[in-house]
Amino acid sequence: MTWLRRGSSEPLWKEEFPVRTADERYVTRRQLTKFLVLTSLGMFVGNIWILIRSIFYKAPIYGHQPVAQLGEIPVGGVKLFSYPSKDDHCILIRTAEDEYVGYSQKCTHLSCAVYYSQAENRLECPCHKGFFSIKDGAVLQGPPSWPLPRIVLEARGEQLVAIEVKG
Amino acid sequence: MFGYEFYVDPSRCIGCRSCLQACEECATHRGKSMINFDFIERKESISSAAYVCWHCDEPTCAQVCPADAIKKGEDGIVHSSLKPRCIACNNCVLACPFGIPKMMIPEQQMMKCDMCYDRTSIGKRPMCATVCPSQALSYVRPEEIAYRREKPTNIFYFGSQKITTKVYMMAPAEREAIALDVVDYMWEENHDLVATRE
Amino acid sequence: MARAPVSEEILKEKFGPHLNYKPPGGWNDESVHPAEKLVKTHCCFCGQQCGIQLKVRENRVIGFEPWEEFPFNRGMLCPKGVKRYLQGNHPDRLLAPLMRSDQGFSPASWDEALSFAVSRMREVQDKYGKDAIAVYGGASLSTEKSYLLGKFARVALGTRHIDYNGRLCMVSAGTAYKLAFGVDRSPIPWSQIPKAEVLFVIGANIGDCAPITTDYIWRCRDNGGKLIVADPRMTPITRNADLYLPLRPGTDLVLLMGMLHVIFRDGLVDREFISQYTTGFEAVAESVKEWDLRKVAEMTGVPPESIEKAARWIGRSKRAIMMHARGLEHQSKGVENCLAVLNIALATGNVGREGAGPTMITGQGNGQGGREHGQKCDQLPGQRSLADPAAREYVAGVWGIKPEELPQPGYSAQEIMNAIHSGEIKGLLSICFNPLVSLPDANFTREALSKLEFFGVIDFFLSETAHHADVVLAGSLQEEEDGLACSAEGRVIHWQKSIDPPGDARRDSDIIIDLAHRLGRGQFFPFKNPADIFEELRVASRGGVADYYGITYERVDKQMGIFWPCPSLDHPGTPRLFVDNKFYTHDGRAHFNVTEWRPSGDPINEEYPLLLTTGRVVSQYLSGTQTRRIGALVDQNPEPRAEIHPRLAEQYQIKDGDWITVTTRRDDLTIRVMVVKTIRPDTVFIPYHWAGISSANRLTHRTLDPRSKIPEFKVSACRIAGATDESPDDRSAHKNGASRGGY
Repeated sequence: MTWLRRGSSEPLWKEEFPVRTADERYVTRRQLTKFLVLTSLGMFVGNIWILIRSIFYKAPIYGHQPVAQLGEIPVGGVKLFSYPSKDDHCILIRTAEDEYVGYSQKCTHLSCAVYYSQAENRLECPCHKGFFSIKDGAVLQGPPSWPLPRIVLEARGEQLVAIEVKG
Repeated sequence: MFGYEFYVDPSRCIGCRSCLQACEECATHRGKSMINFDFIERKESISSAAYVCWHCDEPTCAQVCPADAIKKGEDGIVHSSLKPRCIACNNCVLACPFGIPKMMIPEQQMMKCDMCYDRTSIGKRPMCATVCPSQALSYVRPEEIAYRREKPTNIFYFGSQKITTKVYMMAPAEREAIALDVVDYMWEENHDLVATRE
Repeated sequence: MARAPVSEEILKEKFGPHLNYKPPGGWNDESVHPAEKLVKTHCCFCGQQCGIQLKVRENRVIGFEPWEEFPFNRGMLCPKGVKRYLQGNHPDRLLAPLMRSDQGFSPASWDEALSFAVSRMREVQDKYGKDAIAVYGGASLSTEKSYLLGKFARVALGTRHIDYNGRLCMVSAGTAYKLAFGVDRSPIPWSQIPKAEVLFVIGANIGDCAPITTDYIWRCRDNGGKLIVADPRMTPITRNADLYLPLRPGTDLVLLMGMLHVIFRDGLVDREFISQYTTGFEAVAESVKEWDLRKVAEMTGVPPESIEKAARWIGRSKRAIMMHARGLEHQSKGVENCLAVLNIALATGNVGREGAGPTMITGQGNGQGGREHGQKCDQLPGQRSLADPAAREYVAGVWGIKPEELPQPGYSAQEIMNAIHSGEIKGLLSICFNPLVSLPDANFTREALSKLEFFGVIDFFLSETAHHADVVLAGSLQEEEDGLACSAEGRVIHWQKSIDPPGDARRDSDIIIDLAHRLGRGQFFPFKNPADIFEELRVASRGGVADYYGITYERVDKQMGIFWPCPSLDHPGTPRLFVDNKFYTHDGRAHFNVTEWRPSGDPINEEYPLLLTTGRVVSQYLSGTQTRRIGALVDQNPEPRAEIHPRLAEQYQIKDGDWITVTTRRDDLTIRVMVVKTIRPDTVFIPYHWAGISSANRLTHRTLDPRSKIPEFKVSACRIAGATDESPDDRSAHKNGASRGGY
């Protein structure tokens, strides 16, 4: 496979077995063993860290955020809002006179924005035809593997307030 | 040692063999002397010469070693063969143009001068150059060698092989180079007496 | 009777020489058990006195390390210095006193041995008189011990016969320099050598005997200096000589007078210097008129042009150094030879200036210090004369005795042995001397020793001479006792004690002091250690030429040696003598001395047509008691080899490596031959370090120089022949180990 080497005046054996210790690429067994052990150790430590992290995992506390007024949208209508941060795009649907549901708008497949199909009464993702149930965000069809996270809503007076994210 | 070079001047050698005795007193190869010492032709004259390894830039011994056992470090020192690799094949002993490597049969290893690595690597001078009473072997800075009559050179020609070395040889100042090829001295070469081969 | 109690073979098997090859614990022990300390001291061998550091661990010397800061040798060492540490921890080392018995020698307690020695010495002196006991000292003893021994002989024993092995070394030069300059010391430090324009080396095998001086000579040549070598052999430094004079042995005086002849003839004299600072010039000029070059060339074998060249180079130079050693001095005209060199130096004004001067190369370790403070048969401390009433009064005062109690001058070393042979001297106490190997005519010495009624030896190995002793007191090596010494260039240096004597061996000074106490003279020897001895020495030498009063151990350590004279504590020392052309003679001027030719004491004739000269090899030291016990050094030169020229070898059909028999009027010696072109065809050279059947001194003769009493080692008459039978195994030294890089 000499044609793989870039043009060199040195014969192959001189490159492969250099006399100068500075040019050596030889890896000793000791070096390799050291490397394996250290890497393995490193991974072990990493795993322990992850374990500890999950033990001390605290569920995030969500703030309460008003998202709409009661009666703001018609039945079968949608409103887009951001919760809990301005980058978390969500969708609010008034399914009946007194029924509102909210979901994250990020499709759990590849994060396309889902829309509400009034005709089918479901949430649909335009990218790969993933459909989500309006009742609980479960996957009805398509590539998404997990259900859409649901925004828990509470009516406070005339306001609809998002209080947490589930799922 | 930084800034110091090794100079060999056989014309100063008085044949005391102090170098031979002191060489085996360093720590790297205790009890084994690595100096090459000769009386040139004792019957004819008292000339003698002591040599150390020349630590060539492209060491022939390392190039012919089938086991990749001879290495040249970053400081330019060519070491004795690596004991785990050496197979005592004697290739290096045969190949070295200066005849320096020694094959140690009981140890099954080629050993040679390594410029007292246990001393030079920590800033001390090699044993032979320190004790040589005539400084035929010396380890000094180039400024100090400049006072001598002879001038240092480190280029050798062996047939068609040009060898440059780390250790310097002192040669008479008047001559640019000294021809070691018999042909350069032959009268016939210059006088067309002998018919050349077709 | 001081004959060896059992056969030599049995004694050799038990007491050696055996070869020690490895440091204690083996070669690799040091990497496991590193040294505990490094002691800065000096070599125990020759007069160059190279600085060296000894690695010490658990009271043993395990190796060495160069001492690069010491200015004289700057880390350089000869092979003897490199391997000297192997003399310690040696199987042959005497660890307890020995007393003669039927089985050879048996160990004894100190009390037993010392009381025996003292009672026997008293017996001999009671029966035959105080002078029936002689004391032999040596020039490898520290200055303190040399001084102590001189005082011991005169104050404790009350004998006038004390002398030392330096009688075989420096006395010709010493006598000559005292006659010319009034002082016995090298006038120049070695640092002057590279400054010279011309270096004249005569009778000095610097390459083999003083290797460290070689670098000084090479540097002189690097600076443009010219080297002239006069020697019957081409010694190693001759390879770079600008002029080589192949001198016939014994004719040095003729060569030198011939050179002086040329110097006067061509007007190369320094008239101003001569008239202002010298006396005796006219008589010398007159005396060399008859030595024309033709006559000189015939007698010396040196071509007239070479003689002229040498003389002119020296005469035309304002910086000429003339170095000489035993080749010049080991002759019955040793004093004359040296005086001739001094005449040349004075005539050309090459004295007192930078890069100029005559100098003698002291051979033995403390050859200089050992010849200053009373170890010589005619000397008192400070280089004073024992015959001088003022000196006697001063020293007696220091010693606390009456001047009348001080004995008169006695016999020199060879004369003592002669007196033992004739029965005049009945007892001998000897330290640091191996006369059976180093005195000439070894058979005579052996006969003499067998006549002794008491023979006591202080030594650390059982030397060949000690085989004849009645009691052997186990003494100390140089590294086992503190003390000062003086090097060849006149530098007083410090021999630092590195370890304690092993086993039951004691320090030499303790033994001598103990003997003095047991002789009932302890009140004059209140010394507990060498420093006490030195304190008295300082005072005893004060006011003498070799004035040590301003020297202390601390000053020596701090200044890396002090050159004497050093008369007071704030005096820096005197590296170069005669700087202001003031000499130590009675009139303050340097003296020319007329020299007259006479033949050597062993003339050649038809029966003995060749000249025998003896000398050294680089790997052995003196009588070899120490160096013949060190494996690596013996391997370097396993056996003595006689050097002869191929022309001479052809005459007798001898080939290189053959056994030959060399015969002189005293004895014959069978020895292997080395056929080399580097020697005169009329000369045979044999190194003398070996003993018994290999001893070159069986061949030499006892003619002494009448003034210095030095034996004529360098000129004997001999003949050679191929040895008729194969030599038996025990003649070869191969029994002692394989040779490695021999000749």
